[in-house]
Amino acid sequence: MIRAGGREGGSRPAAGRAGPSRAAMKKPDGKVVLLGDMNVGKTSLLHRYMERRFQETVSTVGGAFYLKQWGPYNISIWDTAGREQFHGLGSMYCRGAAAVILTYDVNSLQSLTELEERFLALTDSASADCIFAIVGNKSVASCSSKVRKQVRAEDKMCFETSAKTGYKVDYLFETVFEMVVPIIVRQKAEGPPQTVDITDYKPAKRTKSGCCA
Amino acid sequence: MSVKAFKLVSAVEREMLMGDKNYINIECIECCGKNLYIGTNDCFIYHFLLDEKISTAGKITFAATKQLHKYLGLKKPVSELKAASALTRLLVLCDNTITLVNMMNLEPVPTGARIKGAVTFALNENPVSGDPFCVEVCIISVKRRTIQMFMVFEDRVQIVKEVFTPEQPCAVAVDGYYLCLALTTQYIILNYNTGASQDLFPYCSDEKRPIVKRIGRQEFLLAGPGGLGMFATVDGISQRAPVHWSENVIGAALCFPYVVALDDEFITVHSMLDQQQKQTLPFKEGHILQDFEGKVIVATNKGVYILVPLPLEKQIQDLLASHRVEEALVLAKGARRNIPKEKFQVMYKRILQQAGFIQFAQLQFLEAKELFRSGQLDVRELISLYPFLLPTSSSFIRSHPPLHEYADLNQLTQGDQEKMTKCKRFLMSYLNEVRSTEVANGYKEDIDTALLKLYAEANHESLLDLLVSENFCLLTDSAAWLEKHKKYFALGLLYHYNGQDAAALQLWVKIVDGDIQDSTRSDLYEYIVDFLTFCPDQDLVWKYSEWVLEKNEQVGIQIFTKRPLEEQEKTNFKPDDIVSCLNKYPKARVKYLEHLVLERKIEKEKYHTHLAVLYLEAILQLKSVTTDNCTETTELLFKLRSLLQKSDLYRIHFILDKIQGTDLHMESAILYGKLEEHEKALHILVHKLKDFHAAEEYCMWNSENRDVQYRRRLFHMLLSVYLNPGTSDCALVMAAVDLLNNHAAEFDAALVLEVVPDSWSVQLLSPFLAGAVRQSIHTKRMTQTALGLAQAENLIYRHEKVKQKGTPILLSDKKVCQVCQNPFCEPVFVRYPNGGVVHTHCAANRHLNSNTTHHSSSSSNKT
Ligand SMILES: Nc1nc2c(ncn2[C@@H]2O[C@H](COP(=O)(O)OP(=O)(O)OP(=O)(O)O)[C@@H](O)[C@H]2O)c(=O)[nH]1
Ligand SMILES: [Mg+2]
Repeated sequence: MIRAGGREGGSRPAAGRAGPSRAAMKKPDGKVVLLGDMNVGKTSLLHRYMERRFQETVSTVGGAFYLKQWGPYNISIWDTAGREQFHGLGSMYCRGAAAVILTYDVNSLQSLTELEERFLALTDSASADCIFAIVGNKSVASCSSKVRKQVRAEDKMCFETSAKTGYKVDYLFETVFEMVVPIIVRQKAEGPPQTVDITDYKPAKRTKSGCCA
Repeated sequence: MSVKAFKLVSAVEREMLMGDKNYINIECIECCGKNLYIGTNDCFIYHFLLDEKISTAGKITFAATKQLHKYLGLKKPVSELKAASALTRLLVLCDNTITLVNMMNLEPVPTGARIKGAVTFALNENPVSGDPFCVEVCIISVKRRTIQMFMVFEDRVQIVKEVFTPEQPCAVAVDGYYLCLALTTQYIILNYNTGASQDLFPYCSDEKRPIVKRIGRQEFLLAGPGGLGMFATVDGISQRAPVHWSENVIGAALCFPYVVALDDEFITVHSMLDQQQKQTLPFKEGHILQDFEGKVIVATNKGVYILVPLPLEKQIQDLLASHRVEEALVLAKGARRNIPKEKFQVMYKRILQQAGFIQFAQLQFLEAKELFRSGQLDVRELISLYPFLLPTSSSFIRSHPPLHEYADLNQLTQGDQEKMTKCKRFLMSYLNEVRSTEVANGYKEDIDTALLKLYAEANHESLLDLLVSENFCLLTDSAAWLEKHKKYFALGLLYHYNGQDAAALQLWVKIVDGDIQDSTRSDLYEYIVDFLTFCPDQDLVWKYSEWVLEKNEQVGIQIFTKRPLEEQEKTNFKPDDIVSCLNKYPKARVKYLEHLVLERKIEKEKYHTHLAVLYLEAILQLKSVTTDNCTETTELLFKLRSLLQKSDLYRIHFILDKIQGTDLHMESAILYGKLEEHEKALHILVHKLKDFHAAEEYCMWNSENRDVQYRRRLFHMLLSVYLNPGTSDCALVMAAVDLLNNHAAEFDAALVLEVVPDSWSVQLLSPFLAGAVRQSIHTKRMTQTALGLAQAENLIYRHEKVKQKGTPILLSDKKVCQVCQNPFCEPVFVRYPNGGVVHTHCAANRHLNSNTTHHSSSSSNKT
């Protein structure tokens, strides 16, 4: 069988995932996006949280999402591809996101630097009151890496996790969901923000090109 | 493994189109209903009618019949064709000009209406104008970075809007006011009404051909980086995960739930539901792939083919057949909106059930259970897998076509005992869960019988719970099974549940007697006793009473003594019958009489006497064998005394006769006491038993509830027994002194002083004397107090009386009655406590009237 985009190593389909929950057919109420360089363990984290397992993955192609029922809400969690090739898609995935989980690998300073240099800009399209979480994955709870010390103590939304052992993975997602709920509530009250977004988004462009034409 | 979702069928063969003219190539196609239009590189349009044929074997083929072909008169290829069926117009793009031709005869409209300067164009499938006789067309203009919107009518066109783009557009799709554009370096969404634009993602259109395809309301499918098929809404959001097609994709089409993609070598099929690639069809030299109203058409330069979707049900069945449950369910659920609701539900339920059996066969019981539940499986389908579980009388037949491929559990587990046990354990828990839900409606018998069989076989403790609570186990089937598994106790319960107590008892008795073996209950005898105690069938109780008593009189008698009281009173369990039946069982008889006399307090002389006699006989019997008092004797003595003391019903003389000549002095004393022959009694106590304490006690309890005189009489009697001149026993004298000193209040001191010997010193009797004096003074003072109180009370009454008489009331003929307002002509009148004076007859009337009203203060004073 040829593997399709967004799905990897035996992991089960996420979107419209089979099973009894009718939630899978419903539209999500809010969106959480995982961003970060390739190989930092985004897919593994999500897989650990949703399927309670850790297994070998292949580098994500494009993106994929899971639906998570959180209280009365359906939250879609998007796993994005860290590969340079798919970088351009990030901004679209982040559009309207209620939370962005910026992930790096605690063993790679480069992956942390990348977050600021490459990924932070993608989140401009996220919801205005978007929540950010910084996650250092592949943590070995006992050893202390340099990278960790730099991120330490910045604020509460910094996590160190291990998709391999499951260390703090639930804690991460649950903390994020807890904080996302008020945003969902607000978004619901205001109506779909995206439809509003587009009308007042970059109106300048047209005028500019209008002059030049 | 993959799904077979589509079949490739040829529609227009090469010969039909071009014969041997090899230079002719297909440039574009359009399909509208049965009409198929083909545009060629030599400026021809061909019109075919496509007929779908289904062979008896269900094979679908297409036959294309050529209608017309038309040369457009230019040396340019026909690059695009779009039908506007509402206008019966075909829009033809050739040489950068869109012309309108009649769909039927391919003649240009007489007005010659056309749109000039179009590189490519798209129809708005979600039009904004609302005019059914108008199509909205969007063109990429030959002018740089320009998009134009047109309204196209039957024979005229009208420009609506022109918008400019930041970069050169190269592909476009429209939905409402939204344009989805592939620009040179990126895709954007552009609202041509407001001018607002939204970046989607970068894409280098120069390097790779972009694809922009509207796939439904406000959603587009785009060719993305790395061979991705990206979904984007007009809001610039991706709501579906991308599909992964190949890097050099040429075209894409949608046939729910699949995205079909074309590249140089293959047609690939991707599910939008789980993003997996489901099918790959080799297809060389393809260059067009499009869907037209659900029909997916693919073309090479020379021929046209149709991708015929296989019925979803078939696809799902294929998936199930290869045990790909999850995919099958995703597909089935995804098909919901394509299938009529009723049909879908039937189909979907069946799929859930099939999926359930697949999971079951893999021992994925949790998943299986959930699927069975949501698929509303007829539980008997599952039960029928297990040999011999369904009752022989069950009318169940497995559904057809079958839900699974297994004959039975043996085949499924291939004889693996461990698996078998697991399956059985699952069924147990499953049946137990569903038996009380609506799933069980209609076949509760089958379920409960199966459950009973499973429990019995597995030696499961819940077997008994099942049988003692409400259940629908079928008797014959279950009985045979329980017998086979030697569950005799349970079998008894089954009989009992079915109202066959006799059969139940017969079995249980056999177990206790050791005729058959079943160790379920070690206390089965007690169980039977209990059972009989509450057994409403008297004949049965009588029948087994002997057996029960034979085993254990003390316990067995409960069948009579512990019966619910009201039942004892109502039914034919006559105490007399029971007592006579118990003749053989003395211990039981005593227990029963105790029950009658002490518990139920039946006031019948014969039971009381009988019980007393039985106690007595037992005591004498015991005494005859041993001399020293064992605990049993003590106990019996205690009971006898208590009975003799408390009961007034037994025949005293009869008992007394029996006691005569024995050493039961205390008892005869009690009996004499009952006969009021206190002197005799006290004599026995004092002289025979020399038990002074008992003598005093005797005086106490015999005078209980009697007046003071009676008590005094007894105490004086005792005193005289002590002081009987015939004896000069020192002990008796001491007893007399003690009696006096300790019970001074029980004596009349004056009388005592007369009888005590003169030789006694005052000191000896000083406690008595002091007590007597104190008592006498106390009595005097009490009397004085009572007198004082009585006088005071008398005074109060006198005061009341005087007050009532009060001031005189003067009655003259000038006074009028307060009721009738007439004067008094007679001296009698009625005066109310409030001073009102009325005629007696008025008072009587008023009294009558106001009896029911609140004026109840009619206590009248007549003077
Ligand atoms: N030791 C360790 N390895 C991990 C952990 N998480 C992920 N990995 C490994 O890191 C590699 C990459 O993990 P992925 O989850 O595929 O990474 P990703 O961020 O999804 O990568 P892209 O999809 O390419 O963006 C895999 O080999 C994982 O097994 C972790 O917590 N500890
Ligand atoms: Mg990944």
